[in-house]
Amino acid sequence: MGNEASIVMQLVDVWKAYRVGDIVTWALRGVNLSILRGEFIAIMGPSGSGKTTLLNIIGLLDRPTKGKVYIDGVDVSVLPSDSLARIRNKKIGFVFQQFNLVARMSVYENIELPLIPAGIPPRLRREMVLKALKAAGGEEEWLAKKPTQLSGGQQQRVAIARALVNNPEIILADEPTGNLDRASARTVVETFTKLNAGGQTIVVVTHDPEVANCSNKIYLIRDGIIKDLRSPSKSECLLNKEIK
Amino acid sequence: MLRDVFRYAMKVLTEKKFRAVLTIIGISIGPLALVMMTSTVRGYANYVEGAILALGQNTVVILPSEKYKLTSSDLDYIRSLEEVSEAEPFYTTQGYVQTAEGRRNVFIYAVDSSILVKAIGNLELEEGDFPLDTEVTYCVIGHSIAYSTASNTRLYEVGDVITVNIVEVLGGGKLNLRKISLRIKGVLKEFGGAAFVSPDQTIFLPLRSGSSILNMKDMSGIFIVAKDPSLVDALTRKIRETYQDKVTVVAFQQIARTVASVTAALDFIVFSASLSAFAVAVAGTASTMITSVIERTREIGVLKALGFTDKQVVIMILAESIIMSLIGGAIGMAAGVIGAHILSSRGLTITAGSSGLIIVANPEITADLILTTVLITVAVGVVGGTLPAYRAAKIPPATALRYE
Repeated sequence: MGNEASIVMQLVDVWKAYRVGDIVTWALRGVNLSILRGEFIAIMGPSGSGKTTLLNIIGLLDRPTKGKVYIDGVDVSVLPSDSLARIRNKKIGFVFQQFNLVARMSVYENIELPLIPAGIPPRLRREMVLKALKAAGGEEEWLAKKPTQLSGGQQQRVAIARALVNNPEIILADEPTGNLDRASARTVVETFTKLNAGGQTIVVVTHDPEVANCSNKIYLIRDGIIKDLRSPSKSECLLNKEIK
Repeated sequence: MLRDVFRYAMKVLTEKKFRAVLTIIGISIGPLALVMMTSTVRGYANYVEGAILALGQNTVVILPSEKYKLTSSDLDYIRSLEEVSEAEPFYTTQGYVQTAEGRRNVFIYAVDSSILVKAIGNLELEEGDFPLDTEVTYCVIGHSIAYSTASNTRLYEVGDVITVNIVEVLGGGKLNLRKISLRIKGVLKEFGGAAFVSPDQTIFLPLRSGSSILNMKDMSGIFIVAKDPSLVDALTRKIRETYQDKVTVVAFQQIARTVASVTAALDFIVFSASLSAFAVAVAGTASTMITSVIERTREIGVLKALGFTDKQVVIMILAESIIMSLIGGAIGMAAGVIGAHILSSRGLTITAGSSGLIIVANPEITADLILTTVLITVAVGVVGGTLPAYRAAKIPPATALRYE
């Protein structure tokens, strides 16, 4: 069916073990997951359930111990690290809980970072940076500022702009609202829903049900296994809640 | 990419200015030492070699030992040697002249003017002429004697009478001051430094004046001009074999060779000593870079997540250490050039018997020296930065992102 063609990423029987001395801990145990183009997926689960490990594997930041990861039908789990870096640069945008902006650099320079390994010439960058910042709900006057001169919510929007600047196929967000107050969290979620409405594929790892309920598909993970697939309850979405 | 790498590296360095400055100072010591010491040593070496070779590549001088007196039969023997083109004796003593600027020490040589000009290359008259052998009371004076030290004005003109005071040691250790009045027939052009003789501070008399005016019976030595510079070694060997330790044979060509080999050794020692400063710089750079990389582990994780490859991370970290080494190198070389001029301007005192000669040689700062220093300094940055850069590149991105 048409879905076959629109699979952006597929995880097939993915296992991930961490070894500390003689002790082996399985963080993922046979995960199967398909991400379709244009989806907004939330992955929920308690602490230590394997959420971040799963996100790292989807984001090609880590390799599975067993199993395969396909992007656009190509098995990337066996590629060398430089090839993975190039795929991350082209196809994946990351948003982190701690924002992970470089404090010594201006907002412009932070958003510009992914364009450097992509080989985009400097004269073309400003337009791309500005477009990404606007799409992330940011304002042009932030560009010259240092990240520390912005509020948490504004910094996260800068981080989203950095994730967007290379027009990635997927945006992966790891607890993107974890460090934000409710009002800021709401603007971030609002940004994600708008982007998704424009066709952007988004995967959010969160423990916040009000954030997860804004997505179109919720996966529940526990002990390294995807236990359930739920439809979100839009009435429980943060965007439909009144902020006190 | 290179422009971005440079900009990124500069941002990192300016963020931790104090640490970067300290590292740069550490790096600058090596180039400073190398440029300062090497250029000074090479400057003096060239000066000394030049001064020796100025005396002529085929000039040989023999000086009698205290127990031996050179006679006309020695002179005849020397002249009979097949390698010898000319040989003439000379008489020398020291004295002083009293000028308006005070007492000035001078060397006095009674020597045949034709062999003098052959033995000492570049010896030219500024004015006047060399006296004939019969003009025993006439002399030619060195440039420094003729001119004032303060201003470039003449103290003595051609035709003037110069009175030279000579201290003689009489029997029983008694000292006698003898005044000799000489008429100046010529003034020499400025000669500069030379080994064995210092023409600028010397009064030259005709050979015959030696015994008549200076009252010297014994020859001070014999100037020999070999037929060809290639015959100098054979000639000196022959004279040494004949006279053993009765005379000292001075061949300027051989001295120049010895000086060249000594200065080459000195050059090597200076280079090796400077390398130890560079080795310390490598350790300092590596330590700074390791600290910097550890502090930025999470940031490096972010860069890798955003798509920077291992190679690009290595280049970014290496750029920081190379920029520091280039700045340190530039500062060190500039300080080295200044230091070398200060060091050289102090002069080097060469003591020969009772007389001392201060020579001032310009440091020899060559393109070759600067290039070598730049290359070694860049190597400091590359070697000091490689391990930290490699370490940074090899951190798995997921691990780096978890780093607190």
